[in-house]
Amino acid sequence: MKSETGLAGPPRPIASPSSQVNGTPPPAAGESPRIRQGPVAAVTELWGARELTANLVRRDLKVRHRGSFLGMLWSLATPLLIVALYWFIFTFIFKQSPVVDVARADGQKPIFAIYFFAGLTIWNFFSTSVGASTGSVTGAGYLLNKVYFPRAILPLSTVLSSLVTFAFEGAVLLAAAVISLGVPSVYLLWTPLIVGIAALLAFGFALLLSAVTVFLRDVAHFVGVFMQLWFWGTPVLYSLQFVAGRPGLVRLLKLNPATGLVVSFRNVAVLDHPPALRLLAYDAGFAVVMLVIGAWAFGRWQRMFSEIV
Amino acid sequence: MPETAISCSGVWKSYRMYHQRAHTLKEKVLSGGNRYDHFWALRGVDLEVPAGSTMGIIGANGSGKSTLLKVMARILEPNRGSLEVHGSVSPLLELGTGFHPELTGRENVFLAGSLLGQTRRDVASRYDEIVDFAGIAAFMDVPVKNYSSGMYARLAFSVAISVDPEILIVDEVLSVGDAGFQLRCHERIGRLRAEGRTIVMVSHSIDTIRALCTRACWIDEGVVREHGVPRDVIASYQDQVRTDSAEDGHRRAVAHAGTGPAPEAAAAEITDVAFCAGDGTAAVTFHTGDAFVIRLHYRCDAAVGDLVCGIAVYRSGDLVHVFGQNTGQAEVPLPPAEDGIVEFRVDRLPLLAGLYLLTVALHDSTGVKVYDWREQEYSFLVSENLALPAGDGLVHVDGHWTQAPAPVRS
Repeated sequence: MKSETGLAGPPRPIASPSSQVNGTPPPAAGESPRIRQGPVAAVTELWGARELTANLVRRDLKVRHRGSFLGMLWSLATPLLIVALYWFIFTFIFKQSPVVDVARADGQKPIFAIYFFAGLTIWNFFSTSVGASTGSVTGAGYLLNKVYFPRAILPLSTVLSSLVTFAFEGAVLLAAAVISLGVPSVYLLWTPLIVGIAALLAFGFALLLSAVTVFLRDVAHFVGVFMQLWFWGTPVLYSLQFVAGRPGLVRLLKLNPATGLVVSFRNVAVLDHPPALRLLAYDAGFAVVMLVIGAWAFGRWQRMFSEIV
Repeated sequence: MPETAISCSGVWKSYRMYHQRAHTLKEKVLSGGNRYDHFWALRGVDLEVPAGSTMGIIGANGSGKSTLLKVMARILEPNRGSLEVHGSVSPLLELGTGFHPELTGRENVFLAGSLLGQTRRDVASRYDEIVDFAGIAAFMDVPVKNYSSGMYARLAFSVAISVDPEILIVDEVLSVGDAGFQLRCHERIGRLRAEGRTIVMVSHSIDTIRALCTRACWIDEGVVREHGVPRDVIASYQDQVRTDSAEDGHRRAVAHAGTGPAPEAAAAEITDVAFCAGDGTAAVTFHTGDAFVIRLHYRCDAAVGDLVCGIAVYRSGDLVHVFGQNTGQAEVPLPPAEDGIVEFRVDRLPLLAGLYLLTVALHDSTGVKVYDWREQEYSFLVSENLALPAGDGLVHVDGHWTQAPAPVRS
């Protein structure tokens, strides 16, 4: 009898099973049969499956909004309500803005609601990508057993469908910014890069978490709670300057890869400032490391998905 | 195109049989993890599927057939051994793979098509055909959760048979449909085969394997027992089944297992059998009412005194003996001691739609000396002729209906 213990879930490839139900000598240990895929081959395969990925994204979005009267608008209603809620709390209850020492390039103080909405859209893109990805492989069990496709398109499609939602929110944000603040500065052109880094970072996490969830379902719950904490650990609702008096905290916040994304996106979208380049560079590095870890883990464990899910 | 479509060498695959499966952290901590044994479903399978062949995999339940299919379709990764696949693969392991209940019929056709490895353009070009065959054009914009199970099955089935891959991998599931589905499926496989596609199929129906496959492979307890010409492989498999069990349930298998009386040391043999249309071109599918020709090539030694060639046609499935005749009965003498070609020509094929099996034999005029006997080794398909009025049964009878004057009521 062989048993597996430990939290890391994914069991090792069988080297020498000690018991054989049907009494067969096990294949010699040591030789790994796995068809190992290099990174180039993996990316080529993903690219080859782009139509299927697009169909899965389309399915995600359609299924999420089918049957509801407002459809896509609901994905806008939620962040707008949250913005309204916090605006109400900080304007009428606390009577103190968490956004301090922040000025637009033209010297004006930013409107809290728009400032917050900008941070919230990019944060929501990242957090829903990561949060929804945990179940992306386990939820596709019925497919894993019936057809072959590069398994990585499952977490990828959750990231991409969050990206579509983000595009809607971003359009509304842009409209609101233009109406209340005027035409944004040329720094807005940084947006694709910032969103690209956010997407890479989210995909790295998504790869790792979706694979681990297959072996340990707890991860989905854990991630749900953790994303709440992460929200407060990211300057979405407040400005980085709000905690400037506590350098230790600032340093901690700057270690959070989401900080640079939120700050930079806010800068270019509503403050007419350049992005926080040093933080952004750190985020890009973090995203690459995360992507390597995620791809490694996913690639290593994916062969067991169809048997376990 | 490479000569080998799929090549497995030394493929081992085990499943974990969990006695206890920990899904959550709590379970893992409390139970000390998963407990399982290994079950080796494949134990060193070496198999080459030549490009353009139709390979049938047979074997008892639990022998590893479906596992082998899944390994070939890359759904399961072998523990050991290697797999090479040349060409695009569509696996048909169940009907309605990837259908989502919330999506409409149209959306599901495209989603399922892309899951089966088809491009959007492929699916779009065949969309009308798919809808036509499913016969539910009016419901294509309705979510499939609102379909009746019949409508769902029809749509799933038409998507399945619309795939056009280089390599098709088909599991048993496709043979569970009603007779009409099965016939369509056989027709489709026949057409793909004619186009030179590679097909690997698992079936419990020996008739299907015999009728559709150009090669067969017998899997037993995770190893390849035999592979080669379907006739030989099926005979060995059925010998084994006969040996293994004398139960009543196997009588039928035994009854049809024989390859006829043992042939004499090949003094004469059938070298080729072809089905042709009226103009003499080879074909696989015919329509009721078409001209139909069975053409037999044979070789005959000088020592053979008299030679009779016979045919027999059976309906696949229930094996109803539809018709049989030999050149002796028809009083057509064959010149002995020379090679030749003999044709059985039907001007208007009366058979209704279905898959039919053909037995051909060479023997002497007494029927005692058998030179060659190919029991149900060949097959042809008959499709419905839309120019003829519809009808049920086995053959088309050329009658017609008229109304007689009504009797005067008193």
